[in-house]
Amino acid sequence: MLTKTIAITNEMSQLDVVANALELLADEWNLMMEETMKLNLVIEEVVTNIINYGYHDHEAHTINIRLSLDGNLFTMQIIDDAIEFNPLLQAKPDINLSLEDRKIGGLGIHFMRTIMDHLEYSHEDGKNILTLSKKLAGA
Amino acid sequence: MHLQINEVAGNKVVAIEGRLDTTTYADLEKTLTNLFDEGCHNMILDCSAMDYVSSSGLRVFLMILKKIKSVGGSLVLCGLQPAIYNVFEISGFLSIFSIRDSLDQALNK
Repeated sequence: MLTKTIAITNEMSQLDVVANALELLADEWNLMMEETMKLNLVIEEVVTNIINYGYHDHEAHTINIRLSLDGNLFTMQIIDDAIEFNPLLQAKPDINLSLEDRKIGGLGIHFMRTIMDHLEYSHEDGKNILTLSKKLAGA
Repeated sequence: MHLQINEVAGNKVVAIEGRLDTTTYADLEKTLTNLFDEGCHNMILDCSAMDYVSSSGLRVFLMILKKIKSVGGSLVLCGLQPAIYNVFEISGFLSIFSIRDSLDQALNK
């Protein structure tokens, strides 16, 4: 099993660090570009939500992203000490809405559900632990 | 990401090249908003050289579409690479955006 942990702080500029790390990893682990882009869509949404809504103080926090590839099973685990939030309990956005009824944003949970195969959330020792996995076609 | 603005047969064509991601979406947002504010309400976005889109990039497309529709203008996207097309599909964007295979087809809308 291949594993990699990326630790970032709660700043939007760090999304770039995550995207770059994922790309390097995609090379190393032979992931297809299309899969990598989709995985990054998910990570970007999850981390954006944590950074934008998860903290009420103005302190620096660490968000850990653990990535692993076991055969063709790709797993990402996002661990943060933000306020307790279970994204799996959020309502599904209606992607069939007309343009007028659509909100800009709000696709994160939809991406998670559409792109990943298995979603799991737990809250332990004051931390949110979100585990998302997907069977990759090209790995 | 590199943006190129051309005037083709009376149409403003914005070509997006490279990665439209978290670090570059603001440039596209600014460019399209400026064009719109200057009175350009008919735009074609040539995506043939765009090889990556992030969710922040998708939001820019949605934002400019809303602006353009609100004044009765037209926005056409063309040349989406298969992976990007797939992301549009997942997002439910295929039903709300006007999408053409190529710039030629977009010009002949």
